[in-house]
Amino acid sequence: MKIKSFLLILLFSVISKIHISFADEAKMKKGLEIFNEKAACAACHILKAAGSEGNIGPNLDTVDGLTQASVIDIVTYGLGVMPAFGEDEILTEEEIVIVSFYVANSVGK
Amino acid sequence: MSKNKSKLNLNRRNFLTGTATLAGIAATASVVPITIANANHSEGTKGLPDFINWKDRDALIVHSDKGIETHRSAIGESLITPNRNVYIRNNMPTMTDTQIGKRNDWKVSIEGVKNPKTFTLGQLKKLGHTTMASILQCSGNGRGFFEHKVRGSQWKTGAAACVMWTGVPLMAVIDACGGINRDAVFMTSSGVDHEPTGLDPKKAMVERSVPKQVYQDAMLAWEMNGVPLPNAHGGPLRMVTPGYFGINNVKHLGKVAFTTKESSVKYMKSSYRISPIGKKGSQYPSCWEMPVKSWITRPTDETGITRAGKVQIVGVAMGGTRKVRSVKVSVDGGKSWKKAKFIGPDLGKYAWRQFVLETTLSTGRYNIASLASNGPDKQPELRMENRRGYAHNGWKDHSVNVTVV
Repeated sequence: MKIKSFLLILLFSVISKIHISFADEAKMKKGLEIFNEKAACAACHILKAAGSEGNIGPNLDTVDGLTQASVIDIVTYGLGVMPAFGEDEILTEEEIVIVSFYVANSVGK
Repeated sequence: MSKNKSKLNLNRRNFLTGTATLAGIAATASVVPITIANANHSEGTKGLPDFINWKDRDALIVHSDKGIETHRSAIGESLITPNRNVYIRNNMPTMTDTQIGKRNDWKVSIEGVKNPKTFTLGQLKKLGHTTMASILQCSGNGRGFFEHKVRGSQWKTGAAACVMWTGVPLMAVIDACGGINRDAVFMTSSGVDHEPTGLDPKKAMVERSVPKQVYQDAMLAWEMNGVPLPNAHGGPLRMVTPGYFGINNVKHLGKVAFTTKESSVKYMKSSYRISPIGKKGSQYPSCWEMPVKSWITRPTDETGITRAGKVQIVGVAMGGTRKVRSVKVSVDGGKSWKKAKFIGPDLGKYAWRQFVLETTLSTGRYNIASLASNGPDKQPELRMENRRGYAHNGWKDHSVNVTVV
């Protein structure tokens, strides 16, 4: 009985990890799309993983201490010439979370 | 995730451009500026971007390729900060030699004067000549000490430098134009570094208005510490507004106008406003005059082990738009203070002074602070909380903890 429970828990754990992994993969794909197309982050930023070469704002691969939370914040409220994608409703909250997830998981790769 | 180098539809940059014409420029620029930009911003061999690969990597803290700070101990032990150690803060990409062209042919127009004129840099050199020391300091220097989550580079002390500028006094240029229009209230300086980007000038142009009277001590500089003004610092021509925050010292200068109103571009109207946390708007003060400030440069954790015995506590002090008058130093976190001695030459009220306090320290842990005064004003203990982390001159945050062994 104990073994059966253990195997069930293990199976559930593996399935949920696969599920998370699939979800993450989907977010990365969607995030790249937003980065290149809807938000056009690529026009202003270098990000090697996205193949982007924009040079208005900082090279994202060089930004110190970049996290998903810090990207969400800056994308929402903007900075300098960078638009406030959230406040100005250029992107939805969900899109901001996704593109920020993509950037945070792509820098330096 | 595999690399995806999908072609971009850069017409989508239209959200940054304001008019159909500019949208067209942006579309055209989708190939040109990015190629140019990429040419001088790939990573250099020393871990610095190519456009500043001549700088001293060991003296610098890289927050990003466009936000590079000087280490606390590297701002200049001999008063002037060497160019290779001076911080970088760019709102627009640094212009390239190709974009600048022949330096003596660079043009600047003067407006809001009796006889508006356009001068080349070569012509400016015939109008007058002067050298002046003044401090360049980013409005956000000290932002890294704020506890609320402030967007932008987390500068501590190193977004500041004391620089010897050479150029023409603005007064001489104004004289050559017959004087300032009587109704002028502001002096408005415009950079042209946004032009190669094709972005909407209202959103991208660095144009800054300061009170008109700043012209009296201002200069148009083409040399920085004895060499032609580097492109990375706004070459070939930059406005120098002594005593005012860095943003007002407009790089790649294309126009100076004496105006009745402040500029309406984003960098004047909404950016660089000192507003309470959670609030923003053009009704709040702009980052203009720098406040009195000082900080310790040695000893710190960066300068190695501090041995017990005689210790030289060294730092820099600035008075903002007034001459700095005195500095006190504390080794016990502000419980007691001793007057420090100014050393080295006095390069005028817009330069910083070095100070030293010779003292004897036994083994232990010390909190070393400095407190400067320019007469009417002295540094407060605490920072002035504000949304964007500007104008920090509180002495407590700028103190250093040092272990003496």
